[in-house]
Amino acid sequence: MIEVMEVTKKYGRKKVLDSLSFTAEKGEITCLIGVNGTGKTTTLKAIAGLVPVSKGKILIDGEPYNKHIYEKLAFIPDAPIMLPRMKIKDVILFMRDFYPDWNALRAKDLFHFFKLNENDRIGDLSKGNMAKVNLLLGLSLDVDYVLMDEPFSGIDIFSREQIADVFASGLVENRGVLITTHEINDIEHLLDKAVLLGDGKVLRKFYTEDIRSSEGKSVVDIMREVYRQ
Amino acid sequence: MGAIQIIAEIKWNNRDPVYIQVIRYFKTRIASGSLEAGQEIPSRRELAAMLKINPNTAQRAYKEMEEQGLIHTERNLPSRITTDRDVLAGVREELIQSALADFLDSIRPMDIPLEELLELVKRQYRGKGGAGHD
Repeated sequence: MIEVMEVTKKYGRKKVLDSLSFTAEKGEITCLIGVNGTGKTTTLKAIAGLVPVSKGKILIDGEPYNKHIYEKLAFIPDAPIMLPRMKIKDVILFMRDFYPDWNALRAKDLFHFFKLNENDRIGDLSKGNMAKVNLLLGLSLDVDYVLMDEPFSGIDIFSREQIADVFASGLVENRGVLITTHEINDIEHLLDKAVLLGDGKVLRKFYTEDIRSSEGKSVVDIMREVYRQ
Repeated sequence: MGAIQIIAEIKWNNRDPVYIQVIRYFKTRIASGSLEAGQEIPSRRELAAMLKINPNTAQRAYKEMEEQGLIHTERNLPSRITTDRDVLAGVREELIQSALADFLDSIRPMDIPLEELLELVKRQYRGKGGAGHD
């Protein structure tokens, strides 16, 4: 479990995260929702140990940040993470050689699932295909938690559908997935848990099936309630 | 081969629990006879991939259907639709009653004479009109 406990992050005087608390479970898809600038990316980076927090604690399976955490989680940013002139097949070889946790079999499955072309160069990829490559790289690591920043943003509907399909397939297996998004449409039935952020605070958090059972509301309904106030 | 083909054209309604919608889908297919007594059904993981839903949701739907006696699983074998005729007949009855209740709820406020209503239903039932709503 990833536990974010009353985390505050300041840049100068500005509080980007303000006493943020939530958990993300293994075997579940947790989604951080909020408009741009609400601290979603900062939250992921803080969990991945890429930015220090000003106050509060983050525990991964009960442990505070340490160098072994790298073996437990993968952070997938929403920008290319490889050199533009590399071909997809070179990237996959590079990852295989560089990461002991690389799962070549799963990488191959994902490669076929996404119908990618191994000779395409990173620099020439569409945004949708770049997102797929990033997802392939992150999900092919044998880690317990995968953090994905905006995997659904700014890409065409077909790439979006394919990426959504990965979450329904066995390829995610029993890992904990934490994604951020500001576009919830047509993915909300895939999520286990939604965490609504606003101005660096958690405004609401819930299991999506619970809110449907108990209140008969969709995630979008709750977003309207929360963000219109 | 025996496993069913699922035509994954379910339009998810975001306000009802997805697992309930999955169960409703199975019940509809049982009631219509396209899922038969004892028929093998996909594994939880296969179902999630076919319907493009969260695997946890598929798991929950199957668990609920096991509890309702609609399906059963013997250790490592694939799950199957129950062979209990009473349960299967009950599903059909339940679906008919609930569809009828919905229909009556929406038609009753219009105060249509029963004779006229029955005549309309008779005429339209086999035709293309009037079927399906959301």
